[in-house]
Amino acid sequence: MLTLRRGEQLRARLHALCRRCLSAKTQAKTLANTADDVEYSAEPEYPEIRDLSFKARKQQLAVDWHNEIRAVPTVEEKMIKLNMPRYYGYKVVDLTDNLVPYNALPLTQHYTRTVLEQQPATVEEDAKLDALVKATREDVIEALEYAHDLYKHQLSLLDTQPDAVQRERQLTLIILEQVNRAVLQALSADFAHLQDVEIDYNPRHEAFWAVGGVDPPKNVVKSKQGNEWQKDQAHDSVDRLVQYTGEPYLALRHRHQLPNWRTAEESNNLTLAKQLPRYKFDARTLGYCTKYQHAVNVPGYWPSANAPNFGLLSFQSRAHLQLRPKTYGEEDQLEALHALAIQSSYAWLLAQANYNGFNTYNELTYPLNTQTVITNGREWSFYAYQLNTLLVHGAHVDENPVVNFCRGTAPLPLYGEISEAGKCVDFNEATLRQLLAQYSNVPSIQRSPAELLPYVRDATLRRAADYENGEQREFLERTFKHLASKRPRHLELPEIYMWEKLYKIDNPTRSMEPRRRFFELNINPWRRTLDQHDKEYVPRVVRPGGKKNREGRYKKTYYP
Amino acid sequence: MSTRWYPVYQRGNPQLRVFLPNFWMKLVRPTEDQPANVVTFAVSTQMTKHDVKNYLEKIYKLPVVDVRTRIALGDTKRDQVHGYITKNDDVKLAYVTMPKNEAFTFPDIFANKAEKQEQDEKSMDESKQGFRKFLDRNKKRPGTPGWYSI
Repeated sequence: MLTLRRGEQLRARLHALCRRCLSAKTQAKTLANTADDVEYSAEPEYPEIRDLSFKARKQQLAVDWHNEIRAVPTVEEKMIKLNMPRYYGYKVVDLTDNLVPYNALPLTQHYTRTVLEQQPATVEEDAKLDALVKATREDVIEALEYAHDLYKHQLSLLDTQPDAVQRERQLTLIILEQVNRAVLQALSADFAHLQDVEIDYNPRHEAFWAVGGVDPPKNVVKSKQGNEWQKDQAHDSVDRLVQYTGEPYLALRHRHQLPNWRTAEESNNLTLAKQLPRYKFDARTLGYCTKYQHAVNVPGYWPSANAPNFGLLSFQSRAHLQLRPKTYGEEDQLEALHALAIQSSYAWLLAQANYNGFNTYNELTYPLNTQTVITNGREWSFYAYQLNTLLVHGAHVDENPVVNFCRGTAPLPLYGEISEAGKCVDFNEATLRQLLAQYSNVPSIQRSPAELLPYVRDATLRRAADYENGEQREFLERTFKHLASKRPRHLELPEIYMWEKLYKIDNPTRSMEPRRRFFELNINPWRRTLDQHDKEYVPRVVRPGGKKNREGRYKKTYYP
Repeated sequence: MSTRWYPVYQRGNPQLRVFLPNFWMKLVRPTEDQPANVVTFAVSTQMTKHDVKNYLEKIYKLPVVDVRTRIALGDTKRDQVHGYITKNDDVKLAYVTMPKNEAFTFPDIFANKAEKQEQDEKSMDESKQGFRKFLDRNKKRPGTPGWYSI
């Protein structure tokens, strides 16, 4: 038997080991070779060449952020995500339902991308509608007389009379409540959808969106002109953020959507989009104001799984139009009504879209419809609105071929006057017909959840309430409601005193003083982000993991 | 303009009758772009929106739809020698809206400024040229008066 010496034994072992190792390597190599073959193709496929210019990189950053918002799972978190960049809120153009300045229609059409059409004052002949008018006529007249009588009595109890605007608001609300009740009572037997409507009294309608195509302010132009490489972009248009705040008298909501009256082909029309008016000046040149606030979208209720999510009809006030000077003229009065209808309809639909996971940066995937009535009790104007697109920001204002549509009537009188004896004179059936036509418009479109909420995660996770983690649920709920509450932030914005502006900023006269204030340290408090705050302290007694645990000293945050 | 200050009305005082109020309006070029039917004026701080409207309507017969006013803070300036700060008076700016079919463009007061400057420079050059010629001619006889040669 062959016996090897100790050294030879070792050498043989090493040899065997190397052989084994080599064979394993060659095997791996052959496998890798096949993979390499797949990687190579006859035609070279290069990745897309990205534009690395400053402007393109900025645009790409914006697109990335919009995609991040889209990827956020729940409705509430999307709205928090929209607010993440600003602790003290965005600077927004303040659109409200109680201010329509002179010549506001072009701005409104630009900001909402809306084509305005005139609707004939008469509704098509319909035997069913005629019968309904006949049936409800007496009830409505009675409701009108009762409302006037009631308000007269209420006024007689007051020591000081309210002003004209307040009087109109109070009277119109009573009239609308009575007319709405009478109409619902009369129609709900024939129209089953009226039995399921949710009625909001004085609801809160708010919406936030971004608008492109506005001229840059002077400071932006000057700062860009100071940079050699930015000089030619100094006059590029910028985005403006818009916040609408409104409070209609009444709003009716339903589970299903109203049918569309414009097809997708009609809405997708670049030539029509190009013809839309463009208001490129600052909105303040018209008389609108700006303010700082968080982006808030509220369609009159909080997000909930089973709420009737789609608007059927809303009744807007026109009481503030009394405050407009007579010099504005009749024509502008009519345009103001159109502008008011467009703004309120767009904002309500946008807020509804927000609860379905869309927002100003994430495009709508199906159209939304609503109907709007502007009234002072006597004069009624009827509008129908179709929301097809939400993209108005950045370059979309030039490139987006989709437009929204609004059609409406001039104000029609429902009655001539209420006589001394409290009787309704000159009742106008044509106006009642229009009103009944809007009530009898059946919301018939039903969509599957996947189609309805394409940007929201899935059936298990749609709203913040669906999270398993109780702490996270509570955090999201609290943050979302706090943003919507418009309360001032816990940490107030630092103030620049007048003497500091004069002697430190405009004229630096105190060069020997230590620089401690934020404006001397080059800190912009407006740039503070939503999550830049101290975390909440957890007392030792309730700290998870025992009193000595230093890990859980602060509560976790769940910002998206 | 009156030499008296426009007195602020106090309750109980006699009804004010001012025949030459201390009111003035100055058309100014807007610092930011604005619609063609809006005109900017710098006005005396005492004037109200109604005063501005009446001033333009009654005296100049202008169609005024709306007036919005604000008070702009005066500029501050540092003294170059002593270093103290001075401040200009605040001024009220009135943004007057005319009907939307009206348009106003701020007059270009110095439209032919460049042209005039060119003319001036040309005549200056010519006289300089003439003087240089005169000096050349009298190089060899310094101190000769201008009228000496033909």
